[in-house]
Amino acid sequence: MDYKYIEQLIEGYFSCTTTLQEEQILRSFFSQEDVPGHLAQYADLFNYETEAKAETLGEDFDERMMAQIDATELKPMNAKAHIVKMTTRHIAPFFKAAAVVAMALTIGRAAEHAIGEQATEENNHVVAVDPYIKSSDVHQAIHVKDVSQAEMKATNDSIINLTREDEIQ
Amino acid sequence: MDFKHDILPLKNIIFRIALRIVLNREEAEDIVQDTLVKLWERRGELEQVDNLEAFALTMARHLALDRKEKMDNRNVSLDEKTHDRPSEGNTNSDQQLMRQETCHFIGHIINSLSEKQRTILQLRDIEGKSYKEIAEVLSISESDVKVTLFRARNEVKEKILQQKSLFL
Repeated sequence: MDYKYIEQLIEGYFSCTTTLQEEQILRSFFSQEDVPGHLAQYADLFNYETEAKAETLGEDFDERMMAQIDATELKPMNAKAHIVKMTTRHIAPFFKAAAVVAMALTIGRAAEHAIGEQATEENNHVVAVDPYIKSSDVHQAIHVKDVSQAEMKATNDSIINLTREDEIQ
Repeated sequence: MDFKHDILPLKNIIFRIALRIVLNREEAEDIVQDTLVKLWERRGELEQVDNLEAFALTMARHLALDRKEKMDNRNVSLDEKTHDRPSEGNTNSDQQLMRQETCHFIGHIINSLSEKQRTILQLRDIEGKSYKEIAEVLSISESDVKVTLFRARNEVKEKILQQKSLFL
């Protein structure tokens, strides 16, 4: 058998011109049982290279490693602070929306209450100032009051609707 | 980034590189643990790392060099601990035993090289890494890798031939 190719590869190996693949060919070649005499001197080196890759940690390493990682996870601040931060960031918009709704409702109620009182006063006033007023006029006055209340309610509703839209967005 | 899936599988290559640097199994194992914990603590940054293995090996090498310096300062006798533990019970044939002996002898030669030489030889000839990857791990140029590897391989060759001529 001609070993010229292998000899060339060995020469290339020691002048660092071989590729990774060629170096793998050398290791495979030397892993066979019968290597010709003049090349045998290199067998130990290439076989060592193959076998040294099988050097591994003991089987109990993973268990110890995982225990250590779990211990790192349980360290006080790191993990927890992280989670809280994320939660706050996610929930914050909802708090904001809720606050806007609450504010709108409060203002709405207050406005409704105030206008309602005012309207009643006006109504009384109309009735008191002109006892001789025609019943149709009283009806008209009452009608005006109703319209203003209805308008107010509509405004409140639209504020609430707007806020709801905000919330949805 | 999952520890068991992405980081833990790097343990053995880190172990071999660390072992080649500190030449002591227990120290090398500690270095693997330290490296993996550090990687896990920095998992947020690892998404941007394009070669995680090279990144891990660079980290491991720095930790190993620190340890080695401390060991040397403590005057720990390296020679005492350099030898791999003799494997027990599984030497079935003489041939196997002989092979282990010779591997031991080659291992000795490689371990007597400078740290840079033996780490590069380990990465190239045992781990099968490209010049580019080795350059990345050691933060040096590819031509520096080649020159160092050239010297390392030829020093090993010379010592093997010396040894052989003694027996002939």
